Amino acid sequence: MEQIQITLPEQISHSLIKDLQKEIAPYKSKKFEGQSVWLDFSNTKQLDSAVAVFLHRLKEDFKKQNIELCWINTSEEVEKSLKLFSPLARAKLEAKRKNFFETIGELGYNLFNQFVESIFLFSNIGFWAIVSFFKPGMRRKGEIANQGVLIGVNALPIVVLIAFLIGFILALQSAAQLRQFGANIYVADLIAIAMVSEMGPLITAILVAGRSGSAITAEIATMKVSEEIDALTVMGVDPIPYLIVPKLYALVITLPLLTVFANIIGILGGAIIGVTYLDISIYPFFKEVFSVLRYKEIITGLVKSLSFSIIILLTATYFGFKVKGGAEGVGRVTTASVVASIFFVIVADSILGLIFYFGEPAF
Amino acid sequence: MSESVIQVQNLVSGYDDQIVLNDISFEVIPGEILVILGTSGCGKTTLLKHLIGLIQPFSGQIKLLGQDLINSNEKELLNLMRQVGVLFQNGALLNSITVAENIAIPLEQHTNLNDRLIEDLVHLKLSLVGLSHAANSLPSELSGGMRKRAALARAIALDPKILFADEPGAGLDPVTASSLDRLLLNLRELLGMTLVVVTHELGSIKRIADRILFLHQGKAVFYGKLSDALKSDIEPVQRFFNA
Repeated sequence: MEQIQITLPEQISHSLIKDLQKEIAPYKSKKFEGQSVWLDFSNTKQLDSAVAVFLHRLKEDFKKQNIELCWINTSEEVEKSLKLFSPLARAKLEAKRKNFFETIGELGYNLFNQFVESIFLFSNIGFWAIVSFFKPGMRRKGEIANQGVLIGVNALPIVVLIAFLIGFILALQSAAQLRQFGANIYVADLIAIAMVSEMGPLITAILVAGRSGSAITAEIATMKVSEEIDALTVMGVDPIPYLIVPKLYALVITLPLLTVFANIIGILGGAIIGVTYLDISIYPFFKEVFSVLRYKEIITGLVKSLSFSIIILLTATYFGFKVKGGAEGVGRVTTASVVASIFFVIVADSILGLIFYFGEPAF
Repeated sequence: MSESVIQVQNLVSGYDDQIVLNDISFEVIPGEILVILGTSGCGKTTLLKHLIGLIQPFSGQIKLLGQDLINSNEKELLNLMRQVGVLFQNGALLNSITVAENIAIPLEQHTNLNDRLIEDLVHLKLSLVGLSHAANSLPSELSGGMRKRAALARAIALDPKILFADEPGAGLDPVTASSLDRLLLNLRELLGMTLVVVTHELGSIKRIADRILFLHQGKAVFYGKLSDALKSDIEPVQRFFNA
């Protein structure tokens, strides 16, 4: 059996591993099968953990090739490092890989669990919303008004601005087409119906979901991770009527009101285009608006905005209570809540739109 | 003097016009455990922040491993900091990634090791702190003591020559705090590290300290061996140990 001896330098740290590898790698071939490679540590005083782990791994690799790698003339210090930094001693930590069916099964199981959890939470909120209507003492005094200001009044400037721009752009885009047919006056019809039954409720709900829905989720999630919700529970205060129901009332009241504002401002935005670009006088414009708007459009818009307010609150609350972890968990559920709220609002808008479109006009 | 790994001379520092540390001088020899102690608000954490280059003093000199910390440029400071590990008071683990990924950060950033070696080293460091089972957990899923140990594994990832620890036992129960102290002593023994520990927990001080730097109202009122500190007749030191 032949022996090959390599003398190692005085100090070996992780930065020298590549050089060491280059020097030793040529001996890891079939040519040296059955032979021994001796690493001479007589000059070496210190090894860091990376080098020790590297040498252990190298030994394993050589063994697979039927080459013996041994270390000689090791000082007490080097011996200690090699013993301490042995990767063989570590526990096996490989995460169990899931197969396709396990992944699908787990996904289905989680979805079902989330569905059940949300049903429980929503029923709980519904129950306490009715009960606390008759027992106002369960809510914090003045909390509905406070939340109404936070959710509704503070959102008014941005809702008004966006609604105005939507009405303005909608009228501008349709005016160019209607003008070709001499149907200028129908801009009023288009704006009135589009704003009142569709754009007003939808845009307002999306803005409120992004602005107030995220704030509700973040607030509840922060309270949960800092154990404030637990503190309320152990004090015998149910967090649902105390924290959530006032927000629900505030949203249910303010979102339809914001929608009404959005509708009026959107129509005004359209009127500006009608008057300045299509030469329609202000009086015939609004006469046309009032003549085309039936109760059906107004009720459609209000029912939609009422439904959206409940959807936003339930989604925000669900994600807020679902938080796990610390600050990063709050960020995660807040983002998820906004995305889900907007998605559910649009889905609900489509369903309600279909119901009102095909349903018999009762008004 | 030349063999000291940390040398601090006439350090004066503070915030705005307020002086927090006044004329602090001390040195730490290799393999020693220096405990910086004092009552709350005496400037312990500020001193530690100076030693790890996070803040600049008004005047004075700090040398780490023979290198002037205050007048080093960014690159020199970065090279120096690779030889230093810091255990922050709250662990300061990145919460969005797993414990193993946290420990891999310095190895990925400061070495050219391959993924397999990095993985081995991460698991090795975790086993040194007794956290092998928590490699794939998120920091938020760990208890306070486990988070501290995970942060310690990250701090020793690059086999630092000096380890700074800011109140390692804070917020831990006495049993966990004492096991963390034992862990620090073991790591000093095994890795040959020098430790600078900021604490005001008496039990911990008695377990680990070789030398004491006692701060009182921004001044170093005592600097010497633990045995001498216990016998000291300096009033704040006496009051602290007899409390």
